[in-house]
Amino acid sequence: MSHESDRPANARRAFRLPRGGAQVDAQVDDELQFHLEERIEELVAQGLTREQAEAEARRRFGDVARWRKEAAAIDRDQVRDERRADVLDTLRRETRQAARALVRAPGFSLVALLTLALGLGAATAIFAVLDAVVLRPLPYPAADRLVWIDHQVPLVGANDRWGLATVNYFDFREHVPALAAIGIWSDAPVTMTVPDGSPERVRGAEVSASIFQALGARPALGRLLADYDNAPGASGVVVLGHGYWERRFAGDSTVIGRKITLEGAPVEVVGVASEGLQLPQQQLDVWLPMTLDPAQRVNQHTYAALGRLRDGATPELLRSQLVDRERRFSELYPGVYSPDFFTSTGFSPAVTSLHEHVVGELVTRTLWVMFAAVGLVLLVACAHVANLFLVRLEARRRETAVRTALGAARGQLAWRSLTESLLLTLGAAALGIALAFGALRALVALAPPSLPRLAEIGLGWPHVAFIVGLAALVGVVFGILPLLRGSVDLGVLRDESRGMTASRHRNAVRAALVVGQVALSVVLLAAGGLMLRSAARLHAVPPGFDAEHVLTFQVPLPYSRYQWADYDKVLELHRTLARRLAATPGVLAVGGTVSLPMDGRIGCALIGFEERGPDGSNRGACLSYTTVAPGYFETMRIPVVRGHAPTWDEVASGTAGVVVTRSFAEHFWPGQDPLGKGLKGYSNLGEPPYFRVVGVVDDVRMEGLAKPPTEVIFFPMKPGPELQLWGAPHALAVTVRTSTGDASTVLAAARAAMAQLDPAVPIDNVRWMERIVATSLSQTTLAMLLLAIAAGMALLLSAVGIYGVIAYIVGQRRGEIGIRLALGAPAAMVGRDVVLGALRLAVVGIVIGLAGAVATTRVLQSLLYDVSPTDPWTLVAVAALLLALAALASWVPARRAARVPPMEALRTS
Amino acid sequence: MPVPDLDLLRGTLDLLVLKTLSWGPMHGLGVLRWIEQTTHQRLQIEEGALYPALHRMERKGWLAAEWGITEKNRKAKFYRLTAAGRRQLAAEVSKWSHYTEAVGLVLAAEGA
Repeated sequence: MSHESDRPANARRAFRLPRGGAQVDAQVDDELQFHLEERIEELVAQGLTREQAEAEARRRFGDVARWRKEAAAIDRDQVRDERRADVLDTLRRETRQAARALVRAPGFSLVALLTLALGLGAATAIFAVLDAVVLRPLPYPAADRLVWIDHQVPLVGANDRWGLATVNYFDFREHVPALAAIGIWSDAPVTMTVPDGSPERVRGAEVSASIFQALGARPALGRLLADYDNAPGASGVVVLGHGYWERRFAGDSTVIGRKITLEGAPVEVVGVASEGLQLPQQQLDVWLPMTLDPAQRVNQHTYAALGRLRDGATPELLRSQLVDRERRFSELYPGVYSPDFFTSTGFSPAVTSLHEHVVGELVTRTLWVMFAAVGLVLLVACAHVANLFLVRLEARRRETAVRTALGAARGQLAWRSLTESLLLTLGAAALGIALAFGALRALVALAPPSLPRLAEIGLGWPHVAFIVGLAALVGVVFGILPLLRGSVDLGVLRDESRGMTASRHRNAVRAALVVGQVALSVVLLAAGGLMLRSAARLHAVPPGFDAEHVLTFQVPLPYSRYQWADYDKVLELHRTLARRLAATPGVLAVGGTVSLPMDGRIGCALIGFEERGPDGSNRGACLSYTTVAPGYFETMRIPVVRGHAPTWDEVASGTAGVVVTRSFAEHFWPGQDPLGKGLKGYSNLGEPPYFRVVGVVDDVRMEGLAKPPTEVIFFPMKPGPELQLWGAPHALAVTVRTSTGDASTVLAAARAAMAQLDPAVPIDNVRWMERIVATSLSQTTLAMLLLAIAAGMALLLSAVGIYGVIAYIVGQRRGEIGIRLALGAPAAMVGRDVVLGALRLAVVGIVIGLAGAVATTRVLQSLLYDVSPTDPWTLVAVAALLLALAALASWVPARRAARVPPMEALRTS
Repeated sequence: MPVPDLDLLRGTLDLLVLKTLSWGPMHGLGVLRWIEQTTHQRLQIEEGALYPALHRMERKGWLAAEWGITEKNRKAKFYRLTAAGRRQLAAEVSKWSHYTEAVGLVLAAEGA
């Protein structure tokens, strides 16, 4: 019997007889009831009384409650299994059907998939960056308790910050209750020689041992630094960074206790820091103990400082406690801090959360702008796909109506449309993850090295959850779309023309979507356009030097063999090196400087002037200065506008003067001849002798193209008799102008020269000057690039959207157009009407978009250079571009309309 | 008279039910009556235990159940053997005969 294999579950499904728990119980009851009653009757028939029969039947049956419970439990299990199988079955079936439906319309599916994948991928990539850089806490235990401590000196410079002196460190450590720990450090790039290797330049910092306490750090191996390592006269030790240890020592654990040579002196490796442990914004190879002598008190605020707040303490509380402490400094440390010092500088402590200090307002803002931009692109993409869905819905109206007429439940249709759209959006999410992965790699490669927390950027589970969640949301919205649109309209079956009003309504929805796309595109284009214009302005700014084909590298001289003030030895080495390099083919000029333009901050110092200024003072606080080697201005093509730059002979004989920039001269000696003026730095500022100004060079933008030219004093490499400087330039950046932009011959010559001059000194930090300039611009460039890409994507989607809607409307109006043409309307006029229709849509979108742009581009203010956020030219250009695009997008459908053969059009309608 | 306390071995009830239902669809009580008659009431079954067994076998797909009307016009749940049930019956029967054969051999050897 074939029907025997039919399972009851299937039968129930076919006839829609769901079985719930209560029903199961009732059926078991019925079954047992039948049994008992039948038995009783049987027994009564055999001659027992009713009561006897009942008792006997129950006796034979046993524990009724127990058997009922057991039987019902089995049935319940079965019902549950069936339901589960039912759901899985339906899911599988629906998914298969949805997939089939999508494959049947490959054009729709592919375009929708790619559009969404692009939108989702872009949003996810930027979200990952935003998350890693801005949202996630810094990689330290209880990172929210870490603060950056420095000083404001408003009377010196509004944005100037001074660090901590050791006096602050010892004082705060003892007397500030809000601090659980405080650590200070200063950068110390060092030359390291391992027993079997050549000298190597490594990134190091000299730290107070307490920094590890503040960071909550643990050693991976051996020990971290302890306070006694900071004591004067302590034996030299070093803690290796984890990455460096793995790279340089291949993760060898026997490295502990080994002696290595640092700056020419032997030190012992005592430990390896735990993996990933870094000072904020640094990639340290080695941690060195700084020498901290409580007895040595100097007012020199050069150390970076980081504190850990005690539980319950806030940055504000800490700041007020620091202020209270420092208010007493002039009485506590009378020789070090004079009351005059505080009044002349406005010196006061500042406390910033470490996260805020590391990430910074500009980066946070830039990333949020980017995120908003990709969010808008995603919206445009969604509008585009929504439009595609509507077209598809239109095409399936008949099918839907037929299915409804045949009895398909509304719920079933809804389920179907939901599975289809979810399948599509989740597929797009999968593709988007791949895109985001690729985009992130490109972003990280392109990102400015100055971007904080660059190394922490990566795609993780939260980001996958983000994209899947977003895709599911979009999928549900798309899936519900047809239900809102009353798709079940049986009228289509009866009378095709009945659909006209409905389809006009639908056209309005589609037009609204296109208007929205255009409006969002205008906002994005305005933002992109502003950034582009800003970047163009920035690139047009003359930097004051010519970076093309200039190679730079450092020869870091160890203090162990080149004394701090051994000017002659350092000078002689550089003079010989320069002479050798100059003799190399392809080298046009050789120079050197301590501070390259656009490469980090230039140093500043208190400078004394020979003449008193109008305010009676003869000191300038925090004036930018650097040291240059002869040939520097020639190499960088910085024009010498007055006087001359010192020569090697002048420097060597101690007769070299200083050079200042034009704006420096105009600032301090307005209307006077700057040549021959006297100034000095470092010590005895009020007393002669002074350096003489011997030359004036044109202005140089030392701190980047976006900043005004820096007023700079260029000191020679060696002071004259009785004059003092800040020491010989141990890390001079040699600058070489080449004719070809070929580094290899220059570096070969430099290596050959150094092999003779001092083989233990490495050639380090080789870079092209052009690269340094590009790097200084990379944050703006990246923001511009991303906004341009976002705007481009939005633009493309808008164009396709306009084309789609216009083409569709033209297709719908074939009949009408045919009639007009048949009645003698000129083809050109018909075409013009179509284009005008498109332009009308575009204009509405543009007007809305411009209003949106004016309202929102303000957030770009701090990212723009010399461009107003509502720059009219940009807005006009954007509007014109979109109008032109709308005309272009409607041109093809317009031509098609004008060529409608009247008779054929009439027939098909 | 029924042999007292002839406890059914575990699984034996299933075998009896399957065999009984192989003659045609029956409700629970019908199955019991059939067993009573054929064994001349020699097997004492706690009647209630039949139902979990029936339901279990239904769940395993050996039996199919359907509500129907008895000759006395009462609503009752009728069970019938499915194809899977038939296969199961064959397997159980052969297992049973192997078992009794083996036990019989031992008993025979002892009795000799």
